[in-house]
Amino acid sequence: MASNLKRKRGGEPTPRKSPKLDIEESVAGSDDEGFDEGEDSGSEGEEWGGTGTAMDVDRRGPSSSKPKKAPTGEELRAIREATDLYRSSSFKLQIDALLPNVRPKQSRTVPLEKFLLKLHTFLMQLPSVEPQHPLEAARKLQKKGVAVSYCAPLPTEDTNWKVAFEKPDDITLVGSWPNKVSVKAKDGFQYGVDIAVQMPDGLFQEKDYLNARFFQKKAFYLASLANSMQSTKSGLNVDVFYESTAGDPRLTKLVLVPKPDGSQTDFTKLNARVCIIPSVSPSNPIPLHRLSPAHSNLRVNDGANLPTPVYNNALLTAFSPKPHLLSTYNLIHSIPAFADALTLLRIWANQRGFGEGSKLCVKGFENAGNLWPALLELLINGEDSTTRGAPPRKPLGKGLSSYQLFKSALSCLATQDFSKHPALAKSASKHKYPPSEYQANHTATLVDSSSLVNALSYIPPGCIDMIRHEAAKTIETLQSSALAVDPFTDVFLHDHRDVATRFDIIFKVDLSSAKARKSSLHEALDFGSATNHLLFNMNALLRKALGDRIHAVAFLQPSSTNSLPSTRPLTQAHPSTSSTIFVGLVLDPASAFNLVQLGPAADSTDLEALTAFQELWGSKSEMRRFKDGRIAESVVWDVKTADERAHVPAMVVRHILQWHFGLGEEHVQTWQSAYDSVIRMPKEIATKYIQGAGSSMGFKGAMQAFDRLVKSVKALDDELPLSLVNASPISESLRYTSTFSPVPLTQSLAAALPPNARYLQPINIVFEFEQSGKWPDELKAIQKIKLAFFESIGTGLMKSVEGLKASVVLGSGNITDSNELMDKAYLEIVTPEGWAFHARIWHNREATLLDRILDDNGPNPHVVVSKKRKQQERKGKEYLDALEAKEVYDRRFMHAPRHHRAVAALNHQYAAFSGTCRLVKRWFASHWFLGGHVSEEAVELLCAQFFVLDGKHVGTDVDIPKNTLSVVPSTKERGFAMVMRFLSEWKWEEGGLWVCLYGPKKAEGEEESDGAPAVPKTAPAKASGTGVWTVSTDMDKDGKLWTRKGPDVIVAKRIRAIAGATWNYMQTMEDGTFNVQGMFIHPTRDYDFLVHLNPSVIPRYVHNIAADESLLGKGKFANDRLRKQEQDLVLPGFDPARSLFDDLQRTYADTFRIFFDPYGGDTYGAVWDPTLKESRPFRVLGGYSSVPVKKENEKAKDRGLVALNDSAVLGEIERLGSDLVKSVLKQR
Amino acid sequence: MSPSTSSTTVNGFTALPVSYPSSATHYIYARRHEGSEKPNASTRNRKTTDLPTGRTLFLVNVPPDATERELVLLFKPCGTVEKVVLDFDAHDSQDDDDSDDGGEDEDAEKDGDRAMQEDVPSRKRRKVAKEEVPKVVPLPHAPHRTIRKTGLTAYVVFLDASSLDRVSSLATKTRPWSTSSEEPSGLAHYSAMFRNLRPPLDLIQEHVDTYMELFEYKLAKSKQKSKYRKGEAIVDDDGFTLVTRGGAYGKTLGGGVTVASKRFQRSGETSSRRRRPKEKQEKEGFYAFQRAEKQRSELLNLKKKWEEDKAKVEKLKQSRKFKPY
Repeated sequence: MASNLKRKRGGEPTPRKSPKLDIEESVAGSDDEGFDEGEDSGSEGEEWGGTGTAMDVDRRGPSSSKPKKAPTGEELRAIREATDLYRSSSFKLQIDALLPNVRPKQSRTVPLEKFLLKLHTFLMQLPSVEPQHPLEAARKLQKKGVAVSYCAPLPTEDTNWKVAFEKPDDITLVGSWPNKVSVKAKDGFQYGVDIAVQMPDGLFQEKDYLNARFFQKKAFYLASLANSMQSTKSGLNVDVFYESTAGDPRLTKLVLVPKPDGSQTDFTKLNARVCIIPSVSPSNPIPLHRLSPAHSNLRVNDGANLPTPVYNNALLTAFSPKPHLLSTYNLIHSIPAFADALTLLRIWANQRGFGEGSKLCVKGFENAGNLWPALLELLINGEDSTTRGAPPRKPLGKGLSSYQLFKSALSCLATQDFSKHPALAKSASKHKYPPSEYQANHTATLVDSSSLVNALSYIPPGCIDMIRHEAAKTIETLQSSALAVDPFTDVFLHDHRDVATRFDIIFKVDLSSAKARKSSLHEALDFGSATNHLLFNMNALLRKALGDRIHAVAFLQPSSTNSLPSTRPLTQAHPSTSSTIFVGLVLDPASAFNLVQLGPAADSTDLEALTAFQELWGSKSEMRRFKDGRIAESVVWDVKTADERAHVPAMVVRHILQWHFGLGEEHVQTWQSAYDSVIRMPKEIATKYIQGAGSSMGFKGAMQAFDRLVKSVKALDDELPLSLVNASPISESLRYTSTFSPVPLTQSLAAALPPNARYLQPINIVFEFEQSGKWPDELKAIQKIKLAFFESIGTGLMKSVEGLKASVVLGSGNITDSNELMDKAYLEIVTPEGWAFHARIWHNREATLLDRILDDNGPNPHVVVSKKRKQQERKGKEYLDALEAKEVYDRRFMHAPRHHRAVAALNHQYAAFSGTCRLVKRWFASHWFLGGHVSEEAVELLCAQFFVLDGKHVGTDVDIPKNTLSVVPSTKERGFAMVMRFLSEWKWEEGGLWVCLYGPKKAEGEEESDGAPAVPKTAPAKASGTGVWTVSTDMDKDGKLWTRKGPDVIVAKRIRAIAGATWNYMQTMEDGTFNVQGMFIHPTRDYDFLVHLNPSVIPRYVHNIAADESLLGKGKFANDRLRKQEQDLVLPGFDPARSLFDDLQRTYADTFRIFFDPYGGDTYGAVWDPTLKESRPFRVLGGYSSVPVKKENEKAKDRGLVALNDSAVLGEIERLGSDLVKSVLKQR
Repeated sequence: MSPSTSSTTVNGFTALPVSYPSSATHYIYARRHEGSEKPNASTRNRKTTDLPTGRTLFLVNVPPDATERELVLLFKPCGTVEKVVLDFDAHDSQDDDDSDDGGEDEDAEKDGDRAMQEDVPSRKRRKVAKEEVPKVVPLPHAPHRTIRKTGLTAYVVFLDASSLDRVSSLATKTRPWSTSSEEPSGLAHYSAMFRNLRPPLDLIQEHVDTYMELFEYKLAKSKQKSKYRKGEAIVDDDGFTLVTRGGAYGKTLGGGVTVASKRFQRSGETSSRRRRPKEKQEKEGFYAFQRAEKQRSELLNLKKKWEEDKAKVEKLKQSRKFKPY
């Protein structure tokens, strides 16, 4: 209102102007009627209040064309900042929107504060406990139900020191809570509110650092605290638990969880817990110099004083809470973006399992709370000048944005090798211990400015590799511009903890019977817990053995689950450990599948290396002489088939676990072979094929057969009117992506096989002959001439190649043959080895002739055709036929060969591509989508997107950088999981997919400038299709080429639902109930009716996912075979089940939607078109089989309603498929 | 199925119940065929002559796999069926199942070498009377079913008009659908088709040869008819020369008149390369106000984008997209 008044006052001096300006304003704002009155008048008021009216008018002059004002300086600064300091301005806005969601709600902290006050007063008035013998003290507490978590070496009866309790010197709120940088944990875990309770100096002596004496005293102190808090007298009303950081009993703390009672101090709603961490003051009598990583503080009987770095680190932890609090506080206050950056970093880490959670988390990071501030501190303050050769890391500027800090933290994680170069953040005072000591005794080092704790000391080396790998991956995501997913979503919002897409190979290891072959008591004591020690060693050994085969070997375990919580009741002294662990490998495809691992040469003098090698590999290591004359100690992995080669890394892991830890086959579970069996024929049949065809099977055999065929056709040059220029394969059998590896089928082999295993997949190829003007200039005649060509090629081949059979196939045999403009005939060639080819001829004149029919302007563009006639032509048969023919022509002769080449090339670049495609195709098929609804090429594109990424490396011979390769799946299992995840998440309604199969995507502008002329704008109107997926490539910008026919909305939604179910099922890998076969079993409940086929007459039944072996037996009668010898048994591509499916799909396109597994499925499933459920008025071209609805009364007579005659349709199906259909089952 | 006692009519169609072996009843709707009401449609002319009004029955919802023979069997009780026309609207030449006989007349240019060899016989034939055009040897063809889209229409032409009246009597009783054994169905259909589609090679050769012969014959015929001779200008009665594009080297037909390229006719552009946009007369950023305005519009754009982003994020926020877990 005030502004309104102002406006009136200001308006007075210029009464003449105001109406005009008002008009302008209203014109400008007319597009939104109800613009905000208050705001608008406010802004106007300001301007009008100015004295210089002339200037005002001037400023308003140009703006009258635009409704918006120029941004103010303030706004401008914010905008500039957002665009310059962040990835993009929307990225900044997204970050801003994200951050409040992961922080505790301030409104709910009041009860917590009250509770903390209460706790403080309670703790400060605790009575002291007299010094007593540790065991005696423990017994006393035991009676009260509190166990003291003494750690090894345990105190004995003859220990001469005492434990006591006195009220704490000081109680401080530490950790991230007081600094307000708490970040919500995954899986609904609670916020931690850490309280450091400072134990009085008087309780300790100088020598307490020795033999865990400090820890025993601390344990007693904690137990006494727990005891007093637990009693109802305390009035705290909390549940008290023990929890040990990283499962180390030396790092035990108390966890207080409120009991919901609705009192003032009940902070249940905050979803937080209070942790009590015992700490010591810097004035503690224990000398810090005794705690350097190189010092030995555990005296074991064997006398050798080996350093105890982990032990020392654990002791130092007690000193650290307060210094950490202070350093974080300082950073937050000196660097504005620090808190946000820290939050981002922790969200990132949480999403990737580097934190707590009830799903699989990376081992060693569960309680790495102070790792993140330490990392940021390292970046901000820079590195202390160290012994390492390279110059120390420079401090970063203080004005960086949160995003910049976050990104540099990632790049530090990705590039810095913490094991070779200990990272010590620069601190005001000198570091207490030299970096060389860290390097010598810790596997990896990151020390913050307080110079106490090594934040990485608990983390196994393989898991550090893992975080490096993840960081590199994220940086790649942030840098790339052409990804399907929004980078922000991918980096911060997606949960990346699923093992299936993250690791190439996953093992589930049962540790219960693991026993290290070589174990030192000293090391075990240093680690504090036997399991930790075992896992640490196992990880290190695996990492060493796998060497350059992997990017990372990570150990994964849920940090806390319902069955095995991380907290334990006070009666339990030591933490319990889980007996299973998951091992995940991220492979480096360049060397992961090497068969030979070379050790030191025979003549090498380095005996130490030799014994180390032998020690590592055990019985596998042997002296070998290689082809190039070298003699060396080596390990060779035995591999029989190409499939098995993918198992080499798994073999390495199994061997190491067996040799070093006594874990046999039964304790180590993988899923690789189960995946293999999904894309293989049943064993019995496969052996027959191998006997029949020998070594020329598989993709290689198919390619050789193709090359031979091309050669023999080229040899016919003289007999053919035109010579063959090119033969392009367009078959998935020749690009490694057919689900089953191709096999030849000869007459004799066919006789030995049961009739339902005699399918021979023809291989499609395209012949291109030299140009000639002698072709007829008419489409129908061209098709006839093609027949003549086929005839002469066929006759020629049969003459020149003995045993070869060729026949001309006139078409598909169904109603589609009536289109005479379309290319439909092909030459069927069955080579003497039993390979079948379907060859077609590409004649490029066809395109021109078809275009003439389709062209809007007709053949003579200058002749004006009346609109009416044009429309009539549009409907005419010729036009529709031409449309169809053109589509087939484009797909078959233009796009298919190109697609084939690109996919085949991809195969040579990425070993896992073929397997991924085959698995995904199998999945699509077994869920009855492939063929009928989703084309093979579309599936290949879906798979390819995970390999080509942004297309940078497509078609280059340059070695692909390792970073990229680690993002690309290296095994088919991972590829499959990625595709499933994608399918379950893909919002195809919102946008299509762009696959950079032919190189990087061009920028928008570029595309317009040079893309347009290449594709003439007059391209014929595309035949309408129902497909909803858009999968574009550079060659097919519309993205409908392979998805025009389907899947339609219903099917696409179903695919998403089933992929989601599959994806969820994959998650059960974590609890061990996962079964690969289960993902390929199709639920048939949802279908309205099922048509069961007779499996004994389906030639492809052998490919069925759940083929019944008994049905694949020999024919029933012995003389059956004799009779069969006479007739032709090799029928390439003869698949009546598929033909019937195609016929039904076409015939009843408007009646129901039918589904079928093309790979030997024995059931069709279908759902009625829901719109047909209700009766409708009769129409001549209703398009479905109907039954007149009986009139209810005389009045309804005229309406002439009809309804779907479903029983007649089912009867027709039975008749159409007589001998083929076993039964039709109506489910609904 | 118990035979229904009374006939059902829907919109003037009589529903003829037909029982299937699996105890289901299918309904074929029948009506007298009335000739096309619009005689002007030239394409329909043939239709009307083919389908005499008085004795033609129009059927709707014929089973998708029905053959002529089966329909003849069905309507046998009413009288002798002269012919059956299935799926009339789709294609005229669909009467018989063979789609590959290619007896279509079509004219276009053609000079294939194959045809050159056959030039002699075709020329001979040209001389004889019109009826004796070269005959195409049809591709061998064993009967197999064509499965059409469901809800198909058909015409049944009776020999005698009185048969039509008897059709309604069919409606009262459910009659079984008799499948003819000559065209197998089901598995046998598919294996038969597999064989049928692979005829002997020599027959194919014969077929193609005769086809091309006919093609050649027709081509020659149309050439004869057309006034155009190579190298001669076509001058019409008014003395205008017809100028068209053509010839192997872009030469015009009758004379040296150049004709605009196809591209120009379509798009109005003369060459494939795009012309560079003409340089603007006025220099940009020359005057101070231009610079100021430019700067200002840049700022405005910046803000606009910012606001758009903000709105986008706000929208996402509302859909609770920013809850990471």
